[in-house]
Amino acid sequence: MVDREEILKIATLSKLFVSEEELPKLTTDMEQMIAFADTINNAEDASTDFDNINNLCNVLREDEVVPSLDRDKILGNAKDIDDGHFLVKKRA
Amino acid sequence: MKYEMVAGFETHVELSTKTKIFCGCTTQFGGDPNTHCCPICIGLPGTLPKLNRQVVRYAVMAGLATNCTIPEIAKMDRKNYCYPDLPKAYQISQFDMPLCVGGYIPLSNGRKIRLTRIHIEEDAGKLIHRHGDTLVDYNRGGVPLIEIVSEPDIRSIEEAREYVEKLQLIMRYIGVSDCKMQEGSMRCDVNISVREVGSDKLGTRTEIKNMNSINFIAKAMEYEFERQVDILENGGKVIQETLRYDDVTNTTSSMRGKEDANDYRYFRDPDLVTISVSREEVEELRNLLPELPVQKAERYVSELGLSETDAALLTKYRKIAEFYEEASKGTKNPKTAANFIIGQIFRRLDTESDKEAFDIKVSAEDLRELIKLIDDGKIKMNLAKSTLEKMLDTGKKATEFISESDMGGLDEATMISLCEQAVESNPNAVNDYKNGKEKAIKSLVGFVMKNSRGKADAVAAEAKIKELIAKA
Repeated sequence: MVDREEILKIATLSKLFVSEEELPKLTTDMEQMIAFADTINNAEDASTDFDNINNLCNVLREDEVVPSLDRDKILGNAKDIDDGHFLVKKRA
Repeated sequence: MKYEMVAGFETHVELSTKTKIFCGCTTQFGGDPNTHCCPICIGLPGTLPKLNRQVVRYAVMAGLATNCTIPEIAKMDRKNYCYPDLPKAYQISQFDMPLCVGGYIPLSNGRKIRLTRIHIEEDAGKLIHRHGDTLVDYNRGGVPLIEIVSEPDIRSIEEAREYVEKLQLIMRYIGVSDCKMQEGSMRCDVNISVREVGSDKLGTRTEIKNMNSINFIAKAMEYEFERQVDILENGGKVIQETLRYDDVTNTTSSMRGKEDANDYRYFRDPDLVTISVSREEVEELRNLLPELPVQKAERYVSELGLSETDAALLTKYRKIAEFYEEASKGTKNPKTAANFIIGQIFRRLDTESDKEAFDIKVSAEDLRELIKLIDDGKIKMNLAKSTLEKMLDTGKKATEFISESDMGGLDEATMISLCEQAVESNPNAVNDYKNGKEKAIKSLVGFVMKNSRGKADAVAAEAKIKELIAKA
């Protein structure tokens, strides 16, 4: 069972504002999602490694420098910039 | 009531790779803000991280050098937290399947500090707080780190100091990091609690974050130990929290309550595949490791007959140890080269970083040639010492300062004649000596040494002079 406190905690951790009206629906949705995960866990072939489903291993790159992206492009999507930096509001 | 300290360390060490952990951006220190960045390391949607092979190799080497086991399979996880130093709002790290597990660092008092694990992760960006704003530079974001996690086995500040110094030494020796604490390439978080002596229960711990100097670590631990003891003695309870150490006021202050591991909502990074380290690769990397400082020091004592103090001084930095081994190779007494290095050469290297750089004008081969002249009886120690000074000043070889006539020592007749001259031309010194001033004899010996260009045997000369004065 998922309760409203858990939803509020997840919302806080995710930096989301959730209004009082939204809480019941979110709680039901979350419950359904967890129930779905439980269904998968209870599937017959539970030994399948879902973590590594495509059986890939060691996709590695060599330690060779490639040019970085132009700074103007790096900062291109930023809301605020200052002196080559991203500028954000100070947070506690 | 008597209390003891219980501390564990989380040490972040920046790896000396050329590129970042998941992209090809340079790891070079400095650079204009946000110029060492690409869509991967600033976490733009749709990008795919790809692990740097060298990061895995360095981390495994670090594990092998600290007696860890290397599991066959490891994976990468996302550690979720929201702060502007992380553009993706998660850090790619390792949670339950790290690259190295279960090692230890032996201390000189015989205790072992156990290591829980060593894992790889990406560094965060740099924040500059200014008025109400924060400036963000992601050049450091994505630089590869290893985090070395110890068990709470440290019981004193002395042990903490030795533990950090040993880690630093090992990582530098094996070449995986320069471990420059002042530049932030090695940083420590310390978990510390106190308990009554004799108790085996752990007290509530606090965590002091991000310290980048061994002296600060020592001071912060001392302060925090006292603070916690005070709380307990006054009937209070230590609160589990994260602290910041202020080196100006020498106090700790609260940063935030300690998050539960669950709050990071670790889960496997679906963008990164399993890491498998073959047993062959582990052996290959083990063979790449140089002889480690502790083993080296033990060998210097047992095989070369050096004192423990000298062995420790010579093995502290890899360059010095290599220089010493080269200079003493094939010489009669391994202590001769040790004495030259620890005496005359160290006198010219004031600071620890000077010693580490070991930037001197004399090559190990040239020092060895000088020592061979002593071994072959061609020159005496006094002449060798003054010659080494000249070599250190100029970078020239010993033979530039020692002529053929200097070698081969001094024949008996010349030596006696010089002693006679010394007595005749220094009546004041002779009188002083006769009147009981023992030291006056030194100036007479000095006369002989000077006029023989250091070739005379000082001990023999002193005996001869005493004999001459007694006869007179």
